[in-house]
Amino acid sequence: MFEVLMYDGGVYRSDELYELIEDVGGTVIQRTRSSQMLTVTMSVPGEDRPMVEKLCRELGGEVREVPLAGTEIAVVGPTLGRHHMPHPICDIAEQLRQYGAISVVMGLARGRGKATSQISLEEIRIIEEYDVAIMMMGNFKSCIESKTHIFEKIETPVILVTGPMPEGVDDLCEAVIPGIGRKAERMRTVPERAKLTEVADMVMKVLENKRRLLEEDPLFVHPAELKQLLEEYEPIDMSLRPAPVVLHMDGLRVKIPYAENKDYLDNLEVYGRRLSEVARITPSKISDSSTIIRIMTDSEVRDRDMQQKEG
Amino acid sequence: MNIETTGTDPYGCEAYKELFRTIMSDIGKGILIDEARIMLRPEVPLFVFSVMLKAEPDNKRISDAASLRREGDDVFITISDERYAPDILSQLWRKYTRANVDQQTRFDIVIKDADMDEVADIEISSGEETKKEILGAVWRSMPEGIRVRFNQTDGRVLTIMATEEIVLPEMKEEARIIHAEMLARSRGEADV
Repeated sequence: MFEVLMYDGGVYRSDELYELIEDVGGTVIQRTRSSQMLTVTMSVPGEDRPMVEKLCRELGGEVREVPLAGTEIAVVGPTLGRHHMPHPICDIAEQLRQYGAISVVMGLARGRGKATSQISLEEIRIIEEYDVAIMMMGNFKSCIESKTHIFEKIETPVILVTGPMPEGVDDLCEAVIPGIGRKAERMRTVPERAKLTEVADMVMKVLENKRRLLEEDPLFVHPAELKQLLEEYEPIDMSLRPAPVVLHMDGLRVKIPYAENKDYLDNLEVYGRRLSEVARITPSKISDSSTIIRIMTDSEVRDRDMQQKEG
Repeated sequence: MNIETTGTDPYGCEAYKELFRTIMSDIGKGILIDEARIMLRPEVPLFVFSVMLKAEPDNKRISDAASLRREGDDVFITISDERYAPDILSQLWRKYTRANVDQQTRFDIVIKDADMDEVADIEISSGEETKKEILGAVWRSMPEGIRVRFNQTDGRVLTIMATEEIVLPEMKEEARIIHAEMLARSRGEADV
């Protein structure tokens, strides 16, 4: 059983950590370096965890469990205007990062207002690329209740974060967390920190449901395994973007353009199959410079094989 | 700052009271506001923010925020109101250039070869500018989508009404009533 940990420390002697992760058969999920500080999210076998922890302490760093590692979460506000940014949207995004998730902040083009708010199909498709979407709403109950069209068509699980508790939205989203709303300052008081923890806990709960479904019908290949294969590809290996490969629960976001790397990605061999036979590979809706890979489940692959045979 | 909120959404009223206070303090205008009355009706939507300032903003000169003395050809300035320190310095730099303005400490400035009366008369803050800034801060506290606005300004009272689409005469009337009440209150206090 693999366990996901996060090392938070300095870059000094970090090579030793990478070597140990490789030696025990683990993988680096995410590596973020800022000046002399380093954060490494890794997946290591449970029995080797004490050894990894010991080395991390020797290097002067801290190790903690990160339950949201391997997920990418969107925190969506009505707009990116100063009315909604940076608080509380960035506070929530930062809290999710503490739990190991890759979180992004986005604003709708025309999400503000009560009667005039709207979401475009393109925005819906972009949000659906993420594992979970957190939709931020304001302080007025009637306003939130009349803006359900903004999130009801999104197929990704949506967690609604609001001020007052709205009525009649239970069936339109996975969960509602009231008590936050619009804020003009950082969430730093004890009750506010507790609210942030509540959001992170709810994300874990929602993802747990998704994880349980995947356990019943597992993916053809685990995204972390595919990540290891992809990292050997030169354009990804040489990429200067902070996280060239981002894990999702059911696939990956690879930050190279699909059009230019179609041949490699389609024909990459995974357990004797071409990747395009076991995954849906599409350019990202955000920009052409990224590619979304959604790995099919075992049953989907079997179904597809049968259909092809019959066809 | 005394803030009074009325409206149909109890959570929103409480939240907006706090939002208004935070935003005003953030941009440093909280100190200028005596009283604020906020009416929130999100179901219409109709929002009225009426603000009573402590005093009608007027043009400030260097002599209002600092004491001046002459020594030989130089003019020495000691800033007494810290809020205006950046404005004083930037106006002096603009008029006398950086080479002639020596800031010795946070509040002490020496200007070479200057006329004291001329320095005392330099405008550092205009009343109109202050009003504009307060207006901007009120717009910032209002919900973002509520963009159709109607402003009223009289003496030290500013009232802003906002809705999402068409401004109806009765909406303006409600804003006028609140504005008149605030105006009367401001005059009543002035008489006392």
